[in-house]
Amino acid sequence: MRIGIRLFAVCSCALFFAASFLFESIAQRRSAEFSHRTREHKRIDCATCHKVPTANWIAARGYPDVADYPGHASCVSCHRSDFFRGNRPAICATCHVSSGPRAAERFPFPVSSRSREFSTVFPHNVHQDLIASKVNKRDVAVAHFVPASFKMSAVDDKPQFNNCAICHQTTAEMPKFANRIPAGTLNALGDTVGDNFTPLAAFFKNEPSSHASCFNCHYQNVEPTRTDCASCHRLTSPFFETNTTERYSLKFNHQDKDHVNKDCTTCHVRITQNADLRSMRDADVPILTCSTSSCHGGEIKAEIAKREESIAAKQPAFQCTYCHAPAVGRFQIPPSHQAR
Amino acid sequence: MTKFILLQKLPALIVLSLRLCVSAVILVTVGTAQVAQSLGSLEVSGRVKIDGKQEKLTRKRFYLIRGGLADHKQLIERLANAAIEPRDCFYSRMNASPEFICWLKTEDCQSPYCRDITEEDIARVPEFRAAFDKGTKQFRGRRAIAADWLTTNLPENLASGFYLQRRHITETLLGDVKPLQSSMTDTVTVKAIFIDIPLTTGTAAEKFLVTNILPIEFGGKSYLWACEVEIGAAKPASLRLLVPDGNKPVKNCEVWVRDLPVCSTGPCNNK
Repeated sequence: MRIGIRLFAVCSCALFFAASFLFESIAQRRSAEFSHRTREHKRIDCATCHKVPTANWIAARGYPDVADYPGHASCVSCHRSDFFRGNRPAICATCHVSSGPRAAERFPFPVSSRSREFSTVFPHNVHQDLIASKVNKRDVAVAHFVPASFKMSAVDDKPQFNNCAICHQTTAEMPKFANRIPAGTLNALGDTVGDNFTPLAAFFKNEPSSHASCFNCHYQNVEPTRTDCASCHRLTSPFFETNTTERYSLKFNHQDKDHVNKDCTTCHVRITQNADLRSMRDADVPILTCSTSSCHGGEIKAEIAKREESIAAKQPAFQCTYCHAPAVGRFQIPPSHQAR
Repeated sequence: MTKFILLQKLPALIVLSLRLCVSAVILVTVGTAQVAQSLGSLEVSGRVKIDGKQEKLTRKRFYLIRGGLADHKQLIERLANAAIEPRDCFYSRMNASPEFICWLKTEDCQSPYCRDITEEDIARVPEFRAAFDKGTKQFRGRRAIAADWLTTNLPENLASGFYLQRRHITETLLGDVKPLQSSMTDTVTVKAIFIDIPLTTGTAAEKFLVTNILPIEFGGKSYLWACEVEIGAAKPASLRLLVPDGNKPVKNCEVWVRDLPVCSTGPCNNK
C-alpha cells in the first residue's frame, strides 16, 4: 500500500513537472527574439507599444527618435503570466541583458545582431517633385544627422545636385562592397581572370539608415508622420542587413571630374519616377546613359567587338573590364548592351 | 465492349483535345509575344526658346502616354480648359506673408523644402520665425534641431499644401488615362529620358503623347505641352519642345501659353 502511495506521489510530481512544459507560452519558450510577425502582434497598432520620441532621445540619438524598447505595460496586458514564470523568466531576455527581476540593463535598441523584420518604402518620385532642389545642410547639428555606418567627409564639396545629397553622400570610409553578379539567363563565359583593380571610397555613395533623414520633414504635420510607422515600414521575412554595396560596374567613380559635374538624375534616369525602391529589379542607371554619349560610347563599342571577335575565333571569351571587374565582365553581354 | 466505351467517351475526348489545342495556341502566342516585345526610348529636351532666348526648363516632370493626340481628345480638352492656380496665388490664398512668397520666388521654389532655410531667412520670414520658436520649445531648447526640422512646425498648407493640390489636379486631369512613365528634366543636360518603353508587337514605330500636365511657370507665363511623338525600337526618339511663333502652330503639338495672374502682395527686395 505504501509503495503504491509513493509511486502515485512520484508520478504526480513527474506529471506536474511535465505539464509545466506543456503550458509554457510562446513567449516563454522562445530564446530571446521578439517577433512582429505573430498573428497577435500584427493586430496591434505600432504606436500602442512604440512611443515617439522615447524619454531617452537626447542621450541616445541627439534628435527625437524611437530610441528605446516599449515599456513593460506594452507586454504585460497579454504576457502577464510570463513575467512570473520562474526565477529567470525567458521573456526578460527580449530586452534585458540578463533575466530576473533585478536585472535592469538592456541591450542597445535596436539589437543589431538580431534579424530585421521590416523593409523600408521610399518613394523617390514624390521627393523629387517636392524637394527637387534642396541642397545639403552642413552647418546645423550635423553630427546628429550623419547617416549611420559611414563617416561623412569633406569629399562631397560643390556642386550638390538637387536633393540627392541630403541622403546620399560620398564617405571617407571605405564601405563593404561586392560585385553584383548578373542573375538569370546570362552565363559566365570563363573563370575570373586576375585584375588588380580596387575601388576607392570616393566611388561610392552611402544611404540613410536612421530616422534622422526622414523625421526632419515628417516628424509632424506632413504625412506620413512619426507615429505612422506602417507607411514606411513593411513587414517582411526576417533578414540580416549586410551593409554591402553591390555594383555591376564596380569601376564607376562618382567623384571622377567628368562625373561629379553631372546631375545625379542625368544617369539615374529611373529614379525620378520610382515610387518604391523595392520594385526596382535592376540597376537604375541604364547603359544608354553611358554608351550614347561621346564619353564612353567608343570604349564600350570596342569591348563588345573584342568579345564578339574572341568568340568567333573560338578563343577564350574577352572579358569586359572597362566598366566591370572580371567577376562581372566574364558574363555574356546582356541584351540591353547589344541594343544600346 | 471497348469500342462502346470509346464511343461513349468520344464527346469528352473531343472537348479535352480542343482544350489542349486552345491552351497550346495561347502558350505559343504568349511565348512569341514575349520574344517579340521590343523596347524604345525617348529623350525630351527641356531647352526651349522663349522670347528669342534659349531657356532651360530644369527639374520639370513630363508624362509619357501611349497613343497620339487623336487618341486622347478628352485629355487634350481637359488640359485646354484647365484653370490651374499659380504658385503665388495659392500661397496668397493661404495667407502667406509677402516675405514667405518672396522667399519662394527668390530661387523659383514651389515649397519650403526647396532649399535650406538660413538664419537670415528665419529672422526675415514671419512663418519661419514662428516655426523656429515653436520647435525650440518642443525640442527642449535645441535650436539646431528647431532650425533643421523647421518645416515640421510650419502650417501644413504652407509646407505641403501646394504640392498636394498639384498632385490632385494631375490626377483629375489624367482621369482614366494611365501614363506609362514619367520623367524629370535634369539640370545639366536638361533632358527627361524615358527608357524601356514597351512597344506594341508588330509595329515599327508607335505614337505616344508627351505632356507636362501641369503648366510650367516661367517669366510671368505658364507653358503646357501635349506633343505627339513616334517611338520605335531601332533608335532612340527625341522631342524638342517648341513655343508657337506668333499664330503659327507647332507641328504635332498642342501648346498653351498663358499669362500668369499677378497675386503676390508686393515687390520682393530680399536676395
